[in-house]
Amino acid sequence: MYCSAGSPHPGCFTNFKGVCGMFSLLYGLWEYVWRKEELRILILGLDKAGKTSLLEKFKELCTGSPGLEPASIVPTVGLNVGRVEAHHAQLLFWDLGGQAGLRSIWDKYFADSHALIFVVDSTRPARFEEARGALFRALSSRELYGAPVLMLANKQDAPDAQPPAAVQQMLGLDELKVPLRVQEASAMTGEGLRDGLQWLVTEIRRSDRASLLRQRL
Amino acid sequence: MAVFGEREARILVLGLDNAGKTTILYRLQVGEVVSTIPTIGFNVETVTYKNIKFQVWDLGGQTSIRPYWRCYYPNTQAIIYVVDSSDTERIGTSAEEFHAIMDEEELRDALILVYANKQDLPGALDDAAVAEGLNLHSIKNRDWAIFKTSAIKGEGLFEGLDWLSNQLKTRKR
Repeated sequence: MYCSAGSPHPGCFTNFKGVCGMFSLLYGLWEYVWRKEELRILILGLDKAGKTSLLEKFKELCTGSPGLEPASIVPTVGLNVGRVEAHHAQLLFWDLGGQAGLRSIWDKYFADSHALIFVVDSTRPARFEEARGALFRALSSRELYGAPVLMLANKQDAPDAQPPAAVQQMLGLDELKVPLRVQEASAMTGEGLRDGLQWLVTEIRRSDRASLLRQRL
Repeated sequence: MAVFGEREARILVLGLDNAGKTTILYRLQVGEVVSTIPTIGFNVETVTYKNIKFQVWDLGGQTSIRPYWRCYYPNTQAIIYVVDSSDTERIGTSAEEFHAIMDEEELRDALILVYANKQDLPGALDDAAVAEGLNLHSIKNRDWAIFKTSAIKGEGLFEGLDWLSNQLKTRKR
């Protein structure tokens, strides 16, 4: 039945309200079913590992528009936020500065993160021990319990890069009891990023961390 | 938007009184330390850096005039929030003002650059301590950065602007 708005006809008016109510109900259901889940991914690593360059590359791969040139990126002393849609999810990246003095801020983001990306500069074995310390310290936090870890052995485009297997071994990653993948990667070429992200999102969905975080909200 | 790719950005410099906002403004603009008096009202100058024309508004920070800050909020691309790192007693007050700014709807998309100023003074808190004091980590949905600065010595100010210009360039035109 068609009625113009503000019709004096009482029957029409209730009918109109009824249609509205039905519509908002259906719309709510529609939104609920199709709403994309927000997955929050924390990017950590020592300074100069290439975290921000990787974030820019992730954004580029997911949106198609070019990100910042690695050469023009300045060291992060705070937070860069990246939002992309991929793998049927809304991904929110938190890229935190890696300088020693600012690592105390990392902890504050643990509780809200679904997963961790840890970035290592594969060309600097001299800093592997320091990277190991930073990673293990982060993972010892209860707040990151159950979070899958994607380890990016970055800068594989450089000729002197250590292969991922060597990174894995030298950082003693086999001791870790979390879902872990060591991925060869390059923020310059984008190598390994799609595969790595795909794995990470699958692991987040598989882990009970998503429901854990949902309960806390 | 200016021609030939030169961008313009409107920046507000905020912070408690005596944080060093006016000294920072003129350090950026003329490269010198000028003698200042407490600002009642505002100072505004244009600073061109890295192909970006920054229109920098320095607003007075005294308690009685802080309510007027909001008159300047519309169309602001970035906030430079200045903290006197040696004034440990008032870091809590500074944090309160800071989070009131963060809650402003009109500044929802503004970039946040924090200057942990007066690093030349003894007992000044470092960047991590100021970040902690301001509860910067409670910001989770937008970019922020903190720099140790000394307006008197001219340290750290342009590093902060580097970050700002980078961020502005990644944003959509």
